[in-house]
Amino acid sequence: MNRRNFLKQSSLFSLLGLLGTSPLLSACRKETLFDGVKYEGKIIIIGAGASGLYAGYILKSKGVDFQILEASSKYGGRLAKLTGFANFPIDLGAQWLHGKNSILGDLIKKTNTKITLDDTKIKYWFNNQLVDKLPKDIDIFEGKNLPDVSYKDYAIQQGFGNEYKYIVETIAGDQGASASRLSVYYNNLEEDNWNAGDDDFKFEETFFDVIDKHITPHVKNKVLLNTIVDKIDYSGSTIKIMDSNGNTYSADKVIITVPITVLKSGDIEFLPSLPAEKTNAFSKIGMDAGMKVFLKFSNKFFDENISGGSICAAYADDSVGKAQQDNILLAFVMGEQAEYLTSLGSDTAITNALLQELDTMYSGQASASFIASYVQNWTTHPFIRGAYSYSTVGMGDARKIAYQPINDKLFFAGEAMNINGHHQTVHGAMEAGYKAVIDILNSVKK
Amino acid sequence: MKKLVCIFVLYMTFKYVSAQEIKGDIAYQYIYSKQWDKAIQTYNFSRPFLTEKQPLLIHGINPSLSYIFKSSNNLKHGINLSYSYFRSSAKNENFKNILNLHFLQLGYILHYENSEKLKNAYVNLIVSAISNGLFRNLNGESFEYDEKKSKAYGIGGNLTLKFGYCFEIKEKIISPYLSVGYTPYLYSPNTEAVINQTKELTSKTWTGIFNLQMGVSYHIQRKN
Repeated sequence: MNRRNFLKQSSLFSLLGLLGTSPLLSACRKETLFDGVKYEGKIIIIGAGASGLYAGYILKSKGVDFQILEASSKYGGRLAKLTGFANFPIDLGAQWLHGKNSILGDLIKKTNTKITLDDTKIKYWFNNQLVDKLPKDIDIFEGKNLPDVSYKDYAIQQGFGNEYKYIVETIAGDQGASASRLSVYYNNLEEDNWNAGDDDFKFEETFFDVIDKHITPHVKNKVLLNTIVDKIDYSGSTIKIMDSNGNTYSADKVIITVPITVLKSGDIEFLPSLPAEKTNAFSKIGMDAGMKVFLKFSNKFFDENISGGSICAAYADDSVGKAQQDNILLAFVMGEQAEYLTSLGSDTAITNALLQELDTMYSGQASASFIASYVQNWTTHPFIRGAYSYSTVGMGDARKIAYQPINDKLFFAGEAMNINGHHQTVHGAMEAGYKAVIDILNSVKK
Repeated sequence: MKKLVCIFVLYMTFKYVSAQEIKGDIAYQYIYSKQWDKAIQTYNFSRPFLTEKQPLLIHGINPSLSYIFKSSNNLKHGINLSYSYFRSSAKNENFKNILNLHFLQLGYILHYENSEKLKNAYVNLIVSAISNGLFRNLNGESFEYDEKKSKAYGIGGNLTLKFGYCFEIKEKIISPYLSVGYTPYLYSPNTEAVINQTKELTSKTWTGIFNLQMGVSYHIQRKN
C-alpha cells in the first residue's frame, strides 16, 4: 500500500467511524426514562394536593390511565387561595418558594411567573421590647455532630435562657414544629441533601395559581372531589378502594399522597394491615398544628417581620412581593402555639389573642387600626390536620421506611415521603409524586 | 489541579530539547455515564412542560498534549495533558437550558512502538487523574441561586488504551488514532443537583464513565 492509498483509507476509516459508530452507540441511549414503555394498568392517586396532581400530570404525559380521588371539595391540598379579603390574592397555605434550584424553579422560569426575593428584615420581640439584633447569635442548630435532642433542650444546653424561648420557637416554627419536638440531629441529617437554595421568594399572584394554571389543567378532568377513601384492599391482584359513599374503585397500583397525619390516624383501613414497621415509621414522622391568620389594618404600624412573640412567634408583612399594598399582617402560628390558639375555640378569640400581643408590642396600635381578620386553621381541616412534616427526636430512618412501596402495589408520596431533603415543600411534594410514578414504572418493567 | 498543570508546563519547557516526541491531538470523544444519563433522563421525564428534551451528554471534543521522554527502548514513558468539552442544549420557549461539561486529565503514558513488528503503529497506555466541572446555563446566563453558580465538580481516575499509526506528509508526521478509556470511579456528588435539581433521588454521588476517542495527532517534535 502506498502512502496516498493509506491516507485515503485511514481518512475514510476515521470518517466512517465518526459518522457511523457514535450514532450507533448513542442510539441505544434514550433521552427520557421509560421511553417506549407502555403501561396498560390503571393507577389511582389518593389526594389532589401538589404531589397527587403532579403524579397525575406525569402519568398523563406517559399515556397511563389514572384517577385522582380527593376527600375535600377542592383540589390543591395545602395550597389554597383567598381573594376579596385584601387588594391582592392571599396564600392560605404554602406561600414561599424555598430556593429556585428546583423543579418548581424551572416551571416558574418557563412560565414567566413573577416572583420576588423576600429579603425583608426581622425585628425581635426580646425582653419585652422590639430589637433589631439579639444579644447572642442563636445560629446554633446547623452543623456536624449535633445531638438528637429537641431544639428547646439544645438551646438550653448551649446557654440560651428563657428569654430566648420564643426566638427558638420561631426557628422551629419555620420547620412547622414546636421547639420541644423538632430534633436538632435529624433535622440536620434530613436537610443534608437540600440543594434548592436558601433564598425565599414570594409570588405576585399565589403559589396556588402556579399549580392551578400550569399543572391542574392537565389533570382536572381526572379529579373526583368529595371522595373520602375509607378502605384500601390490596389483598388480591386488583386493588379495591372503597369510599365513604359506598363506591368501589379498582386499580392495579395506588399512589397515596395524603398528609402523614391521615396515615397516622388510621382513617384509611388497609387490607391486609400495613406492616407494623410501616405504621411505626408513620408515627415517628412529626406534623404539628399550624395556622395562618391574616390581620387587616388601616395603617402599617408593624415591621416587615416580627419574631419571638409568646402567642405567635412569627409575624410577616403579607404584602411583600405583591402588586397592591393593603396592610395585611400574617400571623404564622405553628406547633404548641397553634395548639393553644386552636383551643380558644373561635376565630374571634384567636384574633383577639393576636391583637392583644401586637398591642403590647406596638403600644395599642393594633386594636386601634384593626379592620378584619381571616383565620385559616390547617389543624382543624378534616383532611389535613396540621402544617407539614418535620424530623422528630429519635425518628431514625422513619421517612425512608414510610416511603417504601408495599408489594409493588401501594406507593407513597406527598411532602412527608420526600426522602431527598425536600420534605415540607411544594417542590418536595412534586418530586415525591414523580418518584412514585418512576417506582411504579420500574415495578412494571421487572 | 492548577498547580499540576503549571508543573507540567514548566517541565515541558525545560525538557523540550530532550524530548523524544511531543504530540498535539485533536479528537472526537464519545462518553457514556449511566448515572449522568439517569439524571438527564429523570429531568426529561419529570418535566412534561418542557417539550424539547435535554439531550444526553454524549459527544464532545478533546484536544490534548503528550510528551514522551527520550529513550532507546521500544517501551517509553511520558506524560499527557488532556481537556474535553461536552455540551447538551435544549431550547424551549422562555427556557433554553444548556449543560456544559468539562474534563481535565493529567496522565502518565506508557508508549510502545516497534518499527520491526508494528511498522509505524504505536500503542499508548495512559493512567490519568481526571477532574470535571459541570455548569448550567439558563436563557443565556450562568444559572445562579443564592448568588452562586450552579456547579458540580468531580475527581477520579482514568485508564486509556490508545492505538495510532504514524505517517509523513511533507516532512510532517501525523497519526490517526483510536482510544478506549474507562473511568471506574468519578466522585461528583453535586452532578444530579445541577442536572435535575435533586440529590440522590435517582442517581449516586459517583459514576463510572466509558469513553471512546477518534482523532488525529500532530507530532510537533519527533526524534529517532
